Amino acid sequence: MSFAGSFNGGNTTGFASPAADSLEGPIDLAEILDLRHANRYPVRVSGEALIERGILPGDILIADAAAPPAHGKVAIVMVHGEVLVAQLAYRGGEWWLRPGRMGDVGQVVPDDAEIWAIVSGLVRTSV
Amino acid sequence: MAMYGLIDGNSFYCSCEQAFDPALRDKPVVVLSNNDGCVIARSALAKAVGIKMGDPWHLIRRRPELSQVVAKSSNYSHYGDLSRRVFEILGTHVQRLEPYSIDETFLDLSPVSGDLIDFCQMLRGMVRQIAKIPTCVGIGPTKTIAKMANKIAKSHSELNGVCDLRDEAARAALYQDFRIGEVWGIGGKAAERLAGSGIRTVADFLRLDPRKVRDMMSVVGARVQAELRGVSCLSLSLMAPQRKGIAVTRSFGMPITDWGTMREAVASYATRAGEKLREHGLLASTMTVLLHTNPHNGDPWYSNQRSARIEATNDTTSLIGEAIRMLEPMWRAGFRYSKAGIMLGELIDVGSQPVSLFPTKDPVRSARAMAALDVVNARFGRDTLRPLATGISRSWTAKAMNLSPHYTTRIGEILVGTAY
Repeated sequence: MSFAGSFNGGNTTGFASPAADSLEGPIDLAEILDLRHANRYPVRVSGEALIERGILPGDILIADAAAPPAHGKVAIVMVHGEVLVAQLAYRGGEWWLRPGRMGDVGQVVPDDAEIWAIVSGLVRTSV
Repeated sequence: MAMYGLIDGNSFYCSCEQAFDPALRDKPVVVLSNNDGCVIARSALAKAVGIKMGDPWHLIRRRPELSQVVAKSSNYSHYGDLSRRVFEILGTHVQRLEPYSIDETFLDLSPVSGDLIDFCQMLRGMVRQIAKIPTCVGIGPTKTIAKMANKIAKSHSELNGVCDLRDEAARAALYQDFRIGEVWGIGGKAAERLAGSGIRTVADFLRLDPRKVRDMMSVVGARVQAELRGVSCLSLSLMAPQRKGIAVTRSFGMPITDWGTMREAVASYATRAGEKLREHGLLASTMTVLLHTNPHNGDPWYSNQRSARIEATNDTTSLIGEAIRMLEPMWRAGFRYSKAGIMLGELIDVGSQPVSLFPTKDPVRSARAMAALDVVNARFGRDTLRPLATGISRSWTAKAMNLSPHYTTRIGEILVGTAY
């Protein structure tokens, strides 16, 4: 007796499946996003400030805690008790958070803040 | 020559909480035991305001001078995931390592070339950056010395997180004042007995004739003595020893007074015990079920337990059936039960069980059903799919008033960042 889920495209009962020797299995997004690695963390976006950067509220960011900060990258930053998703800028020997909305002024990353991880990818489960 | 390191997380549970919640970073934080009972971990600030391990939370809460202390319920899936990450990071730099506890790992440092202290600082940096956990490292020619060095690194901030006890002369100086009771492997009883003979420091202990030590404290004491002399007796255990028994016993969030609720609680402990068995590829052949009232609050005392041999199994439905059958005759109405539990014994590997002539379950179907259950729960979170016998409202579950999110293990609870 077979149950749903046990058929893989190759183990047919009547005609031998021509695909039997070429099966590759479904794509594993956890592997593509490298989610099992110790340095990867998922982070949910709240707020609309980064829409122009293509980051929408509800998006799941894949953050890499091993990646070094770099100018122009989006980072997860812990500052003044808050978790921010912000674009990094390097100016005059200091790290700055560059606001996503035009017109807002940026802020220097203070000494007691932590650039927690660098965003390396994004998952949107409904478009 | 053998060289060991012991790296451990500073206030590990508190650091796990603070890693994902920046609002906790400048506050004294404690983590409470199951049921939000006592303090089991303290951040550096919580230690500084005088909170001790084991302090009951309901007393701390009433002290106005401690009103700024934040107490978190224990979130073991979160701590476990960060522990996994720490171990993985260490494993990319050190070939042989032993996960000694959730927050301590022994390292084989003998193959490291170059400056050992620099290497350990690099490890600390990686763990801090990636797993977000601050650590300390102790270095020594034996595991016992590494453990001692780790303790010193913790209490002496000027060492910058690494204490190196490779040098014999440095050790000899230290041993003059280091209390023998603080040494790994010397329990409170042994320390008392030694103190009775005037032996208080490690230096005193090392002056004893090894034969005398063996007489006083058996081979364990003799081994500690040799290790403290720098002779390595304990090697790395790369594999966890096979479990002899599995126990799931819990105190209830509030006393249970009705049979239906007790049945649910015990069924859910049986469910958890079944998960543990399958996780380790084991079958249980004996079961003990116990329940009792609270002996400390003046409630009438009642305690009972039963043990029985069962058909070797790791099937949750069979375990629930057996547990309820044993629980039923022990139930007395009118008591306020505070705790119940299940213990499984005589564990054997799946496949090595004796063939049963009259099995009560089809082993293939049972294995498939359990595999399906485990897959669903692994993917969607613990207890997503569970037997109805474990209840729906589950009013008896332990209190966890201030549980942090399962930041890395449940998709609905991941860290939220505000777009800037």
